[in-house]
Amino acid sequence: MLDIQNLKVVYGTGRLRVEAVKNVSFHVEAGASYGLVGESGSGKSTVLRAICGLAPISGGHVRVDGKEVKTPREKSFYRTVQMVFQDPYASLHPRHTVDRTLSEPLAIHGEKDAEARILQALKEVGLGPSFRFRYPHQLSGGQRQRVAIARALILRPKVLLLDEPTSALDASVQAEILNLLDDLRRELGLTYILVSHDLAVVAHLCERLLVMQHGEAVEETTSVALRSGQASNSYTQSLIQASQGFSREAPAPLAI
Amino acid sequence: MTKPLLDVEDLRVRFHLRTGTVEAVRGVSFQLGRERLGIVGESGSGKSQTGRAILGLTPPPGEVTAQRLAFDGIDLLTASKRTLRELRGGRISMVMQDPKYSLNPVMTIGEQIIEAYRAHARKAGRGEARDRALAMLEAVKMRDPGRVFALYPHEVSGGMGQRAMIAMMLVTEPDLLIADEPTSALDVTVSMEVLRILDELVSERGMGLIFISHDLKLVSSFCDRVLVMYAGRVVEELQAKHLREAKHPYTQGLMSCLPTLANDVRPLPTLNRDPAWAQ
Repeated sequence: MLDIQNLKVVYGTGRLRVEAVKNVSFHVEAGASYGLVGESGSGKSTVLRAICGLAPISGGHVRVDGKEVKTPREKSFYRTVQMVFQDPYASLHPRHTVDRTLSEPLAIHGEKDAEARILQALKEVGLGPSFRFRYPHQLSGGQRQRVAIARALILRPKVLLLDEPTSALDASVQAEILNLLDDLRRELGLTYILVSHDLAVVAHLCERLLVMQHGEAVEETTSVALRSGQASNSYTQSLIQASQGFSREAPAPLAI
Repeated sequence: MTKPLLDVEDLRVRFHLRTGTVEAVRGVSFQLGRERLGIVGESGSGKSQTGRAILGLTPPPGEVTAQRLAFDGIDLLTASKRTLRELRGGRISMVMQDPKYSLNPVMTIGEQIIEAYRAHARKAGRGEARDRALAMLEAVKMRDPGRVFALYPHEVSGGMGQRAMIAMMLVTEPDLLIADEPTSALDVTVSMEVLRILDELVSERGMGLIFISHDLKLVSSFCDRVLVMYAGRVVEELQAKHLREAKHPYTQGLMSCLPTLANDVRPLPTLNRDPAWAQ
């Protein structure tokens, strides 16, 4: 479904040149869920942004459904690939009602039958029709993230790019959103690429994952291996350790 | 524990708003010795407001009342502004969540630590303050204290900024440190490093620590005792090592709704909030 070969993203020129992503390759089959894990500055979000056209592709190939993506992306691209952002407080227009937020993609793509589609989309993400004419400030963080997911799904994409979809939410709300994403993938046969710094979240949602550090791919592994604590790489090992909570006995991690 | 360092009884924080009165903290009581106490809860549970009220940092129009709010025998509610100023940053310090917002952007890190030190040790000369600041930067494991001393906050990473913040807060050798989500803005491996430093300093200097966080797992692995807050109340208090035997359904729910590497539970259990918990 998605094939990334030697992807490179470069910002700036000369002295200010930064290679945010260096030669990252991975392949995701249709219906699979793939995780990108790393700390801030590892380039994991930049990979997602490069796929959907928010960051430049400076080298390598991004193929969706076997076809190389064009820059700027065509309209049809966004019918296949949609993105959910990290912060539901920042990614919804504060002066647009849920109805308007959801009707925008339909209008852009000339879809008919907006009314039914919006009600259907709200139902899919577990919000009733009563939420349709609310403003974002009248919703909780979890409800906002549901609206953001509904907006991404309303065009019936095949691939969903999820950029830390639960890290701005409370633990109990995170569980609800993770369950929702799990159910939607099964019902709609979606392909996910999930970016997160939380190993447990990635292991929960994804079968395979890529660990990134300083813009480079460190290790590709599976969530099964992660759960059994197997990691050939010392960095992955230290991430697993850190996710277990604070320990007074553990050896000091790498210097910052 | 002979005499508690901090004694809080029936602490309430109210905000009188146009739409009515919101009670953010509703009758919180606890005592703290020279130990590590964790306060855990979700957003809106009143955990941060509890920490702020102790320091007298409740933003207006907030109103703080309590049966007792005493630090080392000093009543914080009736104390003069002057006494409070001397306590704050001197004997009680607070580390905030995000170093990006809590450090002064137009002062070097060294200058800020010196300022904090001289505000409380007035007789200290500049030379002495400088030595103290450098020693403190070294204590928080900065690799090159002399270089970091001269840097501005925007020139350092989040982990370094937070360590600088801790250095500033500990330079006056406080008896009580309140840390409000000190590692939430940091990466996991970095936050482990910061916690390790905090842990060492707290146990070396015998301080009391209040560690406020939303992360139950982290708090229970770091603190001795945990207060679980829900809707402005303490719903459960327990020893951190006995967290697994938590009785309150809210604590149990918070524990089980987190995905873990050890178990693959699907779907994840979600919290059914019982209105009775807030009573």
